[in-house]
Amino acid sequence: MSLKIETRQAEGVTILSPQGRIVFGEEAAAFREHLKRVLGSTRQIVVNLSGVSYIDSGGLGTLVGVYSSARAGGADIKLTGLGQRLRDVLQITKLVTVFEVYDSEQEAIASFHRGAA
Amino acid sequence: MAFQTIAGPSSGTGSGVFPTLVFVQGNEQRVINLDHSPFGVGRKVDKDLVIADPRVSRDHALIVSENGVFSVVDQGSKHGTFVNGERVERKTLERNDRLEFGVREVAYVIFNPQHGTTNSAREFLSQISGMHISDETTDLEKLVLFLEAARKLNTIGVLDEILMTLLDVTLKLTRAERAYVYMKNEHGELRLAAGRNAKGEPLLDDKTISHSILDDALKSNSEFVLTDTSRSADLTGRKSIVAYDLRTVICVPLRKPQVHATRDAEAPGVAMSAEVMGALYVDSRFASRDISGVSNDILHAIATEAASLIENARLVQAEEAGRRYQQELAIAASIQQRLMAVTIPEVPFAKLAGRNLSCKEIGGDFFDAVNTDEGLTIVLADVSGKGVSAALLASTLQGMIYSQLTAGMPLTEIVTAVNRFFTDKNIGEKYATVIIARVRDNGDVEYVNCGHILPLVVSNGEVQRPAHGNLPVGLLPDAKYLSDHCQLKPGDRLILVTDGVTEAENARGDFFEDSRLELAAKTGTLEQIFTAISNFCGGTPLNDDCTVVELMYTGS
Repeated sequence: MSLKIETRQAEGVTILSPQGRIVFGEEAAAFREHLKRVLGSTRQIVVNLSGVSYIDSGGLGTLVGVYSSARAGGADIKLTGLGQRLRDVLQITKLVTVFEVYDSEQEAIASFHRGAA
Repeated sequence: MAFQTIAGPSSGTGSGVFPTLVFVQGNEQRVINLDHSPFGVGRKVDKDLVIADPRVSRDHALIVSENGVFSVVDQGSKHGTFVNGERVERKTLERNDRLEFGVREVAYVIFNPQHGTTNSAREFLSQISGMHISDETTDLEKLVLFLEAARKLNTIGVLDEILMTLLDVTLKLTRAERAYVYMKNEHGELRLAAGRNAKGEPLLDDKTISHSILDDALKSNSEFVLTDTSRSADLTGRKSIVAYDLRTVICVPLRKPQVHATRDAEAPGVAMSAEVMGALYVDSRFASRDISGVSNDILHAIATEAASLIENARLVQAEEAGRRYQQELAIAASIQQRLMAVTIPEVPFAKLAGRNLSCKEIGGDFFDAVNTDEGLTIVLADVSGKGVSAALLASTLQGMIYSQLTAGMPLTEIVTAVNRFFTDKNIGEKYATVIIARVRDNGDVEYVNCGHILPLVVSNGEVQRPAHGNLPVGLLPDAKYLSDHCQLKPGDRLILVTDGVTEAENARGDFFEDSRLELAAKTGTLEQIFTAISNFCGGTPLNDDCTVVELMYTGS
């Protein structure tokens, strides 16, 4: 499997940094399972995608699926570290209108605190 | 009746020397060796094959052999002789020919069927039954017979047949009255898998066996349990033994064969603790059928061989199931391909061409073209993921879009309905990117792009990318879909592709990208775009289906 996921905490926000490819199959499944586990204990998540070299259509489906179920459960996932390719894909699919995307991890974290204040 | 008696194990399965006839009447099946000529068939009792049915003539037909060639010759029968459904007077017989004598369907004969079918197990079964074990046969000879049987059985992949044959062989060797095989089910409970009595009749009911001895045998670590009830006073308390007057019981736990049998041989204790997958139970009720004298060698052979036989049979069965599954998939794939086959409509104002380059797996790409009063509509979609699930969704999607297009629905309503269907059905993270473009004879194009790669419009050697888009279908239930328009001049081309094209990879891991696509589309036709893709990829196999659809607007 070509996906590793690092998890850490910063200012009360859980930051996930997947490394590798999020593609249809076991990588997408691993990503989904990992996010589900994290969602069990926190409601504020930043996914830093800077270590992700490639997301295919299946991986994108997983990302949207997890995002939707997190929102439905009162949690929030924000994205940062998007490469040009992923930005293009989100643009073509108009998913930029669905996800909250930030230019830096710091901004993504700060957005949670703004919301809380 | 001409059952050939098999002299011993060295004569093989018999059919190597003589062809066999498999006679099937209702549920009964019998294997007959065709060891002499002429071989008579009829209603008369002195025939080699007697078929007791009024529609069969008394002297119905002969099977004759001339220089090793077998023929069937009708003897002027009233209702005729048939080979593979055709009435014949005389006919040379080929392997697997089906012969019918007057009475059709109810009874028939298969001439010399191929090995490897279930018939060979039955054939072997019947020959085992014809095998005579004289009183002089030593234990060692019996063992040889058994091992021979085991070896032959290994080539036959039907578990039920193996169990039946195992029981018959065991009954023959032990001279017991009844034999049963139990197999553990997925919950670890013992279930009766097969039962036979010494007459070869199936036993479906196991109420009268000693379940307590069966349980004891499974719990114990021994290779087999041989119980002579008349000699052990403590057994008289057991219910079934008393109630059914069981005299001798042999119970052999069947243990899964160890992979490293040779190494474990040094530590028999380890080998013995191997997983129990079932049990072989043999008993006799009457004193005249005393089986307590059965030698330990035979029981040892049965215990080890039976288990590996069953394990083998199970493996073969699993393989067979896998093979069938593959077959089913292949059928599904061919249905899918036929559904996806597009008849390109002829229209006076445009020329349309589409091509799909499939990767190894079944993919979720499809393209369709429908001509209605509103114009020529082309559809290109890509369902996320791969394999059967993607193909299934692609077929559904195609059907929905096709029917709504022919019904003249507006494009935005079509994708809204499809999105609603997919999100209502809650298919999990599956979605599709779809682009539908309707070209009118005046060159006006209305398109609705749902997350799909932007279309290309090639006009005067320049490539434009009409950029209007929406969310893919199937992701979000409340997504709104809008369409946009663009205009084609005579000679302009509208090109739609799936992301398999832009994401085609070369050996270095680079993608084909939009830039190379635009370059190829600017000058090249459909075929030249594919040439550019395959030149770029070199030998690197495709990860995803590549579909390209090209519409050339010729003008009204």
